[in-house]
Amino acid sequence: MADRKPVGHAYNIDFLNVVFAASSLVLFLSVIWMVWDDYDRQWKNYQRAFGQLETAVTQASLQQASSSIDRKKLARLEAERGDARRSLVANRERVRALQGELGTLEANLYRITQDYQFAKANFDAVKYDFEAVRVKDPRAAERVADSIRRQEESVLRLNLQMEEVTATRDRKAAELGKYTGRVVDIDKQFAELTAERDRIRKRLQSLAPSLIKTFVRDAPLLDFMAPTIKIQQVITPNIVDDVNFTRVPKMDRCMTCHLAIDKAGYEKYPQPFRTHPNLNLYIGSGSPHPLEQIGCTVCHEGMGQSVSFRDAAHTPINEKQREAWVHKYEWEEPHLWDYPMLPAGMTEASCAKCHKNTVFIPGATKLNTAYAMFERGGCYACHKTRGFEGLRKPGPNLTKIDSKLAPEWVKTWIRSPRAMKPSTWMPQIWYLSNSSAPADAKRNEVEIDAIVAYLYTNSDKHEFAVASPPQGSARNGKTLVESVGCLGCHVENEGRAQAGSRRTFGQPLQNVGNKTSYVWLFNWVRDPKHYSPGTYMPDLRLTDQEAADVASHLMTLKGPAGEGRKANFTQQDAESVLMDYLTAVMPYASAKAELAKLDAGARKLEIGKRAVSRYGCFSCHEIKGFENTQPIGTELTEEGSKLVSRLDFAFVDIPHEKLAWFETKLHDPRVFDRGRELRPLERLRMPNFGLSDEEVKLFVTAIMSFQRDIQPAAALQQGSERVDAMTAGRNLVRRRNCVACHVIEGDGGDYGNLVAEPTLAPPLLTPEGAKVQHDWLYAFLRAPITIRPWLQVRMPTFGLDDPQVNQVIKYFGAVSGTMTPFRSHEAVRASSDLSGTGKQLFDLLRCQQCHVLGEIPKDQPTANLAPDLRMAPDRLQADWILEWLKNPARIQPGTRMPAFWPDYPKSYYAQFNSSAEMQIRAVRDHLLTLRGGPSPRRTPGAPAAIASPN
Amino acid sequence: MHLLKDLVNFLADPRIYFVLAVGMLGVLVWQRNRLASGRVGYGLMAFLTVFFLFGSFDRNFRLIVTKPDNVPIVGLIFVLLFFTWYAMAEAVKNDQRLEVGKPPIEKEEENRVWVWPDLVYTELIALVLCSVILIVWSIFLKAPLEQPANRAATPNPSKAPWYFLGLQEMLVYFDPWLAGVVLPGLIIVGLMAIPYIDMNPKGNGYYTFKERKAEITIFLFGFAVLWVSLIVLGTFLRGPNWNFFGPFEYWDIHKLLPLTNVNLSEYFWVRMLGRGLPTNWAVREFPGILVMIVYLGVLPAVLARGWFKAYYEKMGAARYHVGVFLFLMMMLLPVKMLTRWLFNLKYIVAIHEYFFNI
Repeated sequence: MADRKPVGHAYNIDFLNVVFAASSLVLFLSVIWMVWDDYDRQWKNYQRAFGQLETAVTQASLQQASSSIDRKKLARLEAERGDARRSLVANRERVRALQGELGTLEANLYRITQDYQFAKANFDAVKYDFEAVRVKDPRAAERVADSIRRQEESVLRLNLQMEEVTATRDRKAAELGKYTGRVVDIDKQFAELTAERDRIRKRLQSLAPSLIKTFVRDAPLLDFMAPTIKIQQVITPNIVDDVNFTRVPKMDRCMTCHLAIDKAGYEKYPQPFRTHPNLNLYIGSGSPHPLEQIGCTVCHEGMGQSVSFRDAAHTPINEKQREAWVHKYEWEEPHLWDYPMLPAGMTEASCAKCHKNTVFIPGATKLNTAYAMFERGGCYACHKTRGFEGLRKPGPNLTKIDSKLAPEWVKTWIRSPRAMKPSTWMPQIWYLSNSSAPADAKRNEVEIDAIVAYLYTNSDKHEFAVASPPQGSARNGKTLVESVGCLGCHVENEGRAQAGSRRTFGQPLQNVGNKTSYVWLFNWVRDPKHYSPGTYMPDLRLTDQEAADVASHLMTLKGPAGEGRKANFTQQDAESVLMDYLTAVMPYASAKAELAKLDAGARKLEIGKRAVSRYGCFSCHEIKGFENTQPIGTELTEEGSKLVSRLDFAFVDIPHEKLAWFETKLHDPRVFDRGRELRPLERLRMPNFGLSDEEVKLFVTAIMSFQRDIQPAAALQQGSERVDAMTAGRNLVRRRNCVACHVIEGDGGDYGNLVAEPTLAPPLLTPEGAKVQHDWLYAFLRAPITIRPWLQVRMPTFGLDDPQVNQVIKYFGAVSGTMTPFRSHEAVRASSDLSGTGKQLFDLLRCQQCHVLGEIPKDQPTANLAPDLRMAPDRLQADWILEWLKNPARIQPGTRMPAFWPDYPKSYYAQFNSSAEMQIRAVRDHLLTLRGGPSPRRTPGAPAAIASPN
Repeated sequence: MHLLKDLVNFLADPRIYFVLAVGMLGVLVWQRNRLASGRVGYGLMAFLTVFFLFGSFDRNFRLIVTKPDNVPIVGLIFVLLFFTWYAMAEAVKNDQRLEVGKPPIEKEEENRVWVWPDLVYTELIALVLCSVILIVWSIFLKAPLEQPANRAATPNPSKAPWYFLGLQEMLVYFDPWLAGVVLPGLIIVGLMAIPYIDMNPKGNGYYTFKERKAEITIFLFGFAVLWVSLIVLGTFLRGPNWNFFGPFEYWDIHKLLPLTNVNLSEYFWVRMLGRGLPTNWAVREFPGILVMIVYLGVLPAVLARGWFKAYYEKMGAARYHVGVFLFLMMMLLPVKMLTRWLFNLKYIVAIHEYFFNI
């Protein structure tokens, strides 16, 4: 360069001028670009677009509001207003004079009021000075005391004047009102009539685009001052974000784009302008979860502060949406926020953040199902999880396996459970993705063989209650199984997904004929607790003959033989497996020595013991020698909050996202061993449950609901005795599977699908707390009696202990709002006048046509039959009978009980002057005089019966 | 293509990378007359551009190069290479002029100062262009709000600000107190000391190499190789767990490198003498301490009589010793690197009783 420079300058100045001009132009353009870039932000464009949409929607609602105004009334008011105005004109002179006087008075009043206020203000100030001086120097204060007093008097005088002028003004105004009052009244009525229209019209005016708005307030570069397009946010004081070093109120800005989220009327518009799908439950100001208190991201997750689609960490529901988003929003795997949004359909997982320790949250259908599945799969047995502690072992008791199963069958079973029972929850442990190599087959077989040997060596002797059971009829048995209620908990052929979590509560009956012996089955159905005292299988109180029939039928249920042994192993193979186990916990030499000490049989048992321990069989099954062993799985209590960096994706090529990891893991629990070089005992060991896509989604929902506890107590449901009773009861009726047969709180009642008529299903229990007497219920739960003899399905004896029975009773009380067990109602005397008329009505209404009264009515179809009314005084709550008679369908929708008083409080019937109230009381009183019905109490009518379960 | 990527990954291994950087410096100094041509300079820029452009077709490369934090370092590579080349090219021109007895270009019009409009005008233009760059940069590379800091889940790799990545790289070879306190302190002190040590009046106000061979070479070694190239290494080639990753390699958090480094004391006592480590640390670390005494105490004196004799005579004892001390401290890093790579040497002196390791 130096060689070419012109004299006097290092650079060519003309050239520099050009460079300067060009770079200035570029700077100018880039500044414009910068301003435009800010003006063109995603959320600003959404708000502009929404402005147009809102105008259109408001216009539509304005039209609707206008057309719904009562035209006739409007016309009448207009006519009246015309009249009133005309009479005003007639008194024009007087009105004008009065208005003039009133004007002068108002001005006067204003002046005097101001004088008074100023005088008062001066006096207050002086008074303070006086007080302050007096405290220091009383004598000095004396000197000014007079002037203070004079000032006070002048204030009082002004006050009097003010009151006088006010009175005069009011008098004049009243006088004027005589002439003008009518017009004002009518105007007010007018305004009321058109209030909605006027409100919407005003709104529309404020929405209308204006030059000021477009070109000044929202103009590029000027829009930092007072824009109409701005960030919308809610700050929730009681819902917090954990920012690791402290917890701060959540700040959700979602509504910056989701502008109609809390406005009804936008249901059919595309996102982000759609109304929340359930305003009654969420967001709405009257809902239990109002927007101002709950916000958005405590349920949906995601970064509430962010106003860009990508940074808010939206999560797509599937691959298709993912691609569409990448294309449309430049979406990428969320990595700016630890807790990305839950995909639509999984949001219920967040309910558990506040609704804790319960497996049933009304309305959260997905989550409830997810929890049921979680328990059915027995996940909690290996994975400690808050809210699922202290539950029973989900698998059968194996301490007496010898009397139940044959060793060869057990081997085939554990090799591949679903090959024998496609609907079982028992997972597959061997021959999975990390143990299916040909080299693994021998090891698998060694372990299977050894575990079975261990189980049988550690099996107790079992004495059957009936060693040689009678023969039964398989045909009768089939009918019984299909009718007494077995199918509430057991499926015969249905798939797991199809039957749902409640009907797979018990072992599926598939292939049970190949599984065990007739004598075992007979004894089991006859009295399950005899074999397994801790079982949840209830006693259906079958007679020996019935039990024999059922057992005979079950023996006919045969299925595939399962998967046979896939490799033969030698003593050396077993030895090497045992050495692997031993060297994992001790030095090689000690392991060798240990091995040498054991003979072939003992080696097998040693392998068995160590394999049971490794695979965690004892977590689900009671196995001798493992009574106090800790479960083997990762604790899941806070798994939903786990950071994605804590998950090992190994060599599996999936998006590095939490949900993807869980889904992949649940589909194939051993998948993350893929491509890795691991010694046998280093491999993953979670068994495979053969979950369908649908099931996996539910399990992931459950896992995502296991969150770190960060919300403060103020955010949670307020505790009370009722809430506690609800929570405990809801869990209990699910963990004992009451809901398989009964509908409680609108949930459950799967058995209803198996009967021809809804009335033939087990009864609805939602109103039970208000319906039956608590001590009757206690006795009934301890020892159920038959209430509807025409029903095939039976209430089993569950053998609940006292705390559990009380929990159920309290729960029903809590559901019905009748928590107190002892409740008074006005005394009902058997021989009162009422009950006499009650008898008349009872006959008139022909209650006996359907209700049993000692004997079952003959001419009725079974679907119409109703319980024995003689039980009423012993069983029913007196107040409830009134409610029931008033409107049965309200308590139990779809009931066959007719509503005899549809026009309550009027009545068709003449008694008591057609007073429905009195008539209902009369019928109720008559019912309470009846005696002699069956009762679960030892002595019918006796309080708090103590009934033995058997 | 794969072969090429593998080759680049291979060359980017810290050992080869460092040796290459030193080698490039050597070639630059040695072949400066050839490299001084515009063709070489622009060719180099073109080559770099092509490398980055084509590299960007690779997903891993693109990820790491376009990460907003790393973009300035890409610029740094271009800028550093360009100016090094430019300075060398100008120096070569002047050296040729000096050889034939002409003054350097810059000295031709010594009586003039090019302030107005030359300096002021170009500064203004530079200001305008820098503003443009910053504005466009801020539009393209957003700085989003990230998740709250979490002491239980720190970023992996946790990287220092880019200008400290060279220091962070030193942590691989030195204890934190050395790499983080003593050496950076010495860098500052050393930079302050330069005017007092460097007595050579030549090269003042003009480009030259011949007249300041040692100074420029040492500077380029310290700045371009030890400082900047280690920043580039730390930015692009250090991934999770501070493991090394080639530019086309996926940052797999599971990648493992064997940790098999041994202290000098172990080499001496265990491997050479075949006995256990003495319990007394002074005895145990005696070999290492001796090495350090020789390196910092004896070596300068030996050099003063040997290779550096001319310098010693020219600078005098005080300047010579301060200068050589600073030089030796600087050379501690490459020395430590070499011994680590060649002998798996962990520490020369390892007095962990007092958290004193060299």
